[in-house]
Amino acid sequence: MAPALGKRKRITREELEQSSRASSPCSVSQNSDGEDMQARFRRAFEAKFAPLKIEPVRAEIQKVEEPAEEPEEDTDWSGISSEDENETSNGVQVFDHTATELPRTKGSKSEYRAFMSAKPPSLAATTTAKPKAAPKYVKEDDTVEAAHMKNDLELQKLLRESTLLSSNAPTYSTRTGNTRESNDARHKLTDLHVQSLGAKKSIFTQKSMPMSHRKGISAKTKMRDYKRRVEAKENGITLEKEQKVRKSVGKRDRGVGAPSVGKFKGGTLTLSKKDLRGLTSSAGDKSKGKKGRRR
Amino acid sequence: MADETVQTLLQFEGHRHLTTRLLLSTLTGRPIRITKIRPSSTRPGLTPYETNFIRLLDSITNGAQIQFSMTGTTLVYRPGLITGSAEGLGAMGGVIRHEIPRECSRRGASWWLIPLALLAPFAKDKLNVVLHGEGCITSSTPAGDVSVDSVRTAILPLYKSFGIERSIELRVLKRSCVPAQGKSAGGEVQLVFGHQVRLPKTLHVMNKGRVKKIRGVAYAVGVSGSNNARMIETARGVLNKFVPDTYIFSDVSKAPLISGLGSKSDPNGKMKGAVGFGLSLVAESSTDCIYSADVASPPQGGVTPEDLGKQCAYQLLEKISAGGCVEITSATTVLLLMAMGSEDVGRVCLGRDVLGTEEIVQLGRDVKVFTGAAWGFRSKGTADAEDEIVVSVVGRGVGNVGRKVA
Repeated sequence: MAPALGKRKRITREELEQSSRASSPCSVSQNSDGEDMQARFRRAFEAKFAPLKIEPVRAEIQKVEEPAEEPEEDTDWSGISSEDENETSNGVQVFDHTATELPRTKGSKSEYRAFMSAKPPSLAATTTAKPKAAPKYVKEDDTVEAAHMKNDLELQKLLRESTLLSSNAPTYSTRTGNTRESNDARHKLTDLHVQSLGAKKSIFTQKSMPMSHRKGISAKTKMRDYKRRVEAKENGITLEKEQKVRKSVGKRDRGVGAPSVGKFKGGTLTLSKKDLRGLTSSAGDKSKGKKGRRR
Repeated sequence: MADETVQTLLQFEGHRHLTTRLLLSTLTGRPIRITKIRPSSTRPGLTPYETNFIRLLDSITNGAQIQFSMTGTTLVYRPGLITGSAEGLGAMGGVIRHEIPRECSRRGASWWLIPLALLAPFAKDKLNVVLHGEGCITSSTPAGDVSVDSVRTAILPLYKSFGIERSIELRVLKRSCVPAQGKSAGGEVQLVFGHQVRLPKTLHVMNKGRVKKIRGVAYAVGVSGSNNARMIETARGVLNKFVPDTYIFSDVSKAPLISGLGSKSDPNGKMKGAVGFGLSLVAESSTDCIYSADVASPPQGGVTPEDLGKQCAYQLLEKISAGGCVEITSATTVLLLMAMGSEDVGRVCLGRDVLGTEEIVQLGRDVKVFTGAAWGFRSKGTADAEDEIVVSVVGRGVGNVGRKVA
């Protein structure tokens, strides 16, 4: 097939005009007297005015269908008669069961569960499986979106690690050898990764240390934060809100056998005024707001 | 209680429609006297399964009085309050276990279940009853009782249109078929009915719609599961032409074991219960009307699964062709619930043949005796539904006495 398809021949202007003439409706249609008359008329017309524009052929289409049918009429075979439709010339009977086959014998499992459970099957339950969600119209969009997402994640990671990147890039540092700084950077990087993946705390937080050290550290962080806030305030910068560590509001855990009211210290039970009020006040004025509270 | 003794007894005759009369009596709270219960029979009086039903009625109500005459041909029933499975009144752990002995094996479990489900919405507390014993048959029976599958798939869904839909369950714990003479069935069914109402909603069903899907359960108890496949194949062969959305599920179970029925050498041994197979079909229309059909193999056997499948499919088609929005099996349930509804006129469209059956006609008469309100009939106006009649039922407006002060 391939060699038959060559480069298309260049068509000269004359050829083009000629061919268009040839495919004109008049010339293709039957060469009868009517055609001659038309040609003559046209020639006369063209002699007087500009040449006519010839429209593309339409009548040809009807002609094409005819020859396909004709040869069949010539053959003497009359086709399969309706009586022995299933019988070929060899006497073999052919039965077609595809039409009578039942489409599906078993319902889906979910349907089985819905129908065969102890509950009466609900009337409104849909029997047909839900049509699948229409496939995403443009697949390219999806891939682009995914790429964007990936890039986004990478960018965020980069921003997070940019502090380490400046002097101690992880790849660089590992290659240069086991210097202390490079190792530190690597550990910090790992720590960041782990934290971003959801670790509760950094691996660098020291679990146990002398109390004075810890106090010192926490005091230093507090002081640093305070300083930062003060400076920000002076410069008119709005900072994030200070997060206050809340004390647990739950009931105080009293020891076993301890009195349920007051403060027991040094062998004496001290009752505050509030405690006293709680003990002595009549229930009436207390339960004004709370209805139905049992006493 | 004092006013109850003053209430006059409603008089009835004959053994027929006993369950509906007892039901109406319990629901309306009116005492009844039924006389001439099989007076000329060689075994006069109530049959074992009828007394068993009265016993069940007694166990879910409180304060009912039942009196039989010497010969058992007369029964006086003063209904109590429907308590459901309240603790301390025959219920163990919230469950009433009701035994159906072997003598009662002429009727299927649905004969107990359908009236029980009708009482349940009007109970004070939720109802939880296990039917078991040698006479408990879960399949459909030659006496005309439907299978418990049909009760679950064709009758219980109808309660939804009355606003009763929550926590209703019917569990088939052990399947059993109709036993041969002298054998026992040994099925077990649990009915949980947790939705009690003050008044059922008024029903208006005029349009039967078109059948859109057919479902079914084929069950084989103690016999090969291939019986199921054969039944399903033939039934689908008939029905698929009409409704392509036809699925029949198969349930194969072992024969139930009944303890304490062993041979002489092993008195504590177990014996197998009745075996067989059957098919329950349910057709559902676009307007939620339900038609059902039921067949099961007879106890003597000798019927091919193909025959049963075909028979069941034809039976379903016949039910659908009878027309109306409610078929004969569930008509009693629907009409009784309508009669017990709020003081409003509910309408339901019934096929002429369905309405003309003895039980529905008698139900209408009995409802009139109990509630004083007769049903109204008129033919449906449209030309295409000539064989359908609209039945207007006035609700009694009393509903659940136990729920009144709650």
